[in-house]
Amino acid sequence: MDFTFSPEHVALRRMIREFAETEVAPIAAEIDREHKVPHDVLHKLGQIGLLGVCFPQEYGGMGAGEAGYCILMEELGRVCTSTATNVGAHIGIGAMAIHLDGSEEQKRKYLVPLARGEKMAAFGLTESNAGSDAANIRTRAVREGDSWILDGGKVYITNGGYAHVITVMAVTDPALGARGGVTAFIVETDWPGFKVAREEDKMGIRGTSTAELVFEELRVPHENVLGKVGEGFVAFMRSLDMGRLTLGAAGLGGAQAALEWSVRWAKTRKQFGTELANKQSVQWMIANLATEIEALRSLVYRVAWMVDAHQPFTQLAAMCKMYGSEVGSRAIDVALQIHGGLGYTRDFPIERAFRDARIAEIFEGTNEIQRIVIASNIFRDYGVRIRP
Amino acid sequence: MPNIIVLIGRVLDPSGIVFNRRAGRLFVNREEYLLQPADRCALEAALRIKEAGRPKESPSAEVVALPRTLLPDDDVLRQAVATGADRAIYLAGQVANADDALMARVLAAVVERLGGADLVLTGATTLDTGQGQLGPRLAEALGWPQIVDVWHVEAADGRVRAVRKEKDGFVAVEADLPAVVTVLPGVLKPRYPDGARLINVYRGVNEMATALEQWDVADLVEAQALKPLVERRGQEFPAERERGARVSGTPAQMAQTVAEALRQRVRR
Repeated sequence: MDFTFSPEHVALRRMIREFAETEVAPIAAEIDREHKVPHDVLHKLGQIGLLGVCFPQEYGGMGAGEAGYCILMEELGRVCTSTATNVGAHIGIGAMAIHLDGSEEQKRKYLVPLARGEKMAAFGLTESNAGSDAANIRTRAVREGDSWILDGGKVYITNGGYAHVITVMAVTDPALGARGGVTAFIVETDWPGFKVAREEDKMGIRGTSTAELVFEELRVPHENVLGKVGEGFVAFMRSLDMGRLTLGAAGLGGAQAALEWSVRWAKTRKQFGTELANKQSVQWMIANLATEIEALRSLVYRVAWMVDAHQPFTQLAAMCKMYGSEVGSRAIDVALQIHGGLGYTRDFPIERAFRDARIAEIFEGTNEIQRIVIASNIFRDYGVRIRP
Repeated sequence: MPNIIVLIGRVLDPSGIVFNRRAGRLFVNREEYLLQPADRCALEAALRIKEAGRPKESPSAEVVALPRTLLPDDDVLRQAVATGADRAIYLAGQVANADDALMARVLAAVVERLGGADLVLTGATTLDTGQGQLGPRLAEALGWPQIVDVWHVEAADGRVRAVRKEKDGFVAVEADLPAVVTVLPGVLKPRYPDGARLINVYRGVNEMATALEQWDVADLVEAQALKPLVERRGQEFPAERERGARVSGTPAQMAQTVAEALRQRVRR
């Protein structure tokens, strides 16, 4: 067994950490306060190849694999959850769907500029009546000659307000349901019939765009069908698996930051004549937190290794997302308790990180859905089929 | 347009170490190394000279990275190539206490074997030991002009033009090429490595397969040239800085107090 990172991944982390601390950390509070997407930072990330971190070099990517992608998400999550979310929605689900299921022409046309960061991607699955219940999609696509006409809409689409390319799921055969009746399409957002209806005003990750999209007689050429007609559901589930793992990595980064802040504060803050670090109550909080973070780190990078080694990982990716988001939330909760009143003020990043952390238990499949995925995989191993 | 050699070294990541004055030693919590910040600026200066006025497709110069000291591994050289150096040469060999005097002799031999160069750039100082001798000593060994502690440097038409930072201001200096120029830390914002280059240079694949060479020090200079000048007799930490004074009052009063204290210090 060998648990060490390869030299290229060590070097990649060093580069990303420097970028995160120099370019991202200083703007994290501002983009949260002003509710704006850090386009400059995304542009710079693209210039040095990080927006294509896990895609093959022949399609404009960096070729650093899923492990490299997890390193990126961990280091971004450590300084700014908003930036990590912008990047995760772009790479992990938006562009990933094209990487996994795109034809050669689709990859040349769409994946290359996405991997280079020249264009941004989003992933359109959730609807007002279908989110976790992905099979209940209402957006319709009807074939008309060489095109498909899309009608309907999506809600809570991360990057939806500014993405250039969105992979969208629509019903092509209502009689067949999720398996067989749903198809994935690559949609360019400047096509007629595509509209951003509204941007959500959110509790956290305020440096991201979460948009409601409307499609009105949106004409999509048949060549933009992603994968096979009727197989969109299976394709999207595979993209979501990849995204889930890296959400665990972002949670790891957030938890690590919470630990670092807590240790630093415990060293500084004095009460009853001694530093908080000398209080057993605080020591135990730190010890518990550090242990959970190490467990999460082992899980995240082991699963990343499995992905890169082409092993099945669906169940473990769900564990990464669920455990990563919950460790992230617990970590920032502990950090807030250690910081006391100071942590509750907007002068310190704890307050922002607290609001930011919570979304990870909700988006890209709520943690309840992750538990269903995990349980159904476990029961299936014992020959039992469970239904949500 | 020049062929440029950049000398680069490494330094322990300061965020991974802790000084303990009482114990009189340095504790390494995380042993990771970074490019010396001044050397990184020198690399950035070299890349900017290479790119100046030229389209990316027809580069005018080659940037070669060499180690400023004998290193146990080639990590910083790979970083330099990932950042944009065209190639790097790792110098293999074990010499106890290799100092700048010794390295100047070794590097002069490397420059000679490379068939000369137009410009050698390196950092004006190291972050850890504050060494600034390598550039000047190498210039002496090569018999080239030298400009040290520069703020800005450009090279064209057989001349190097630099702006030096001196005590009371900036001074523009020129010299004929070839020359040695040392760059101050922090004067340029160095670029980040390119992602795909970084992955490839560490894997030694694609266009990066031949970017890194290894030369043996023993093949470059005679054994007696490998005697260091500096002898290490022990280590001592600089005295602790005096504690500052705390001022209070209204902002205007505090500013007045600080201004008065500064005036006193200047008079002294």
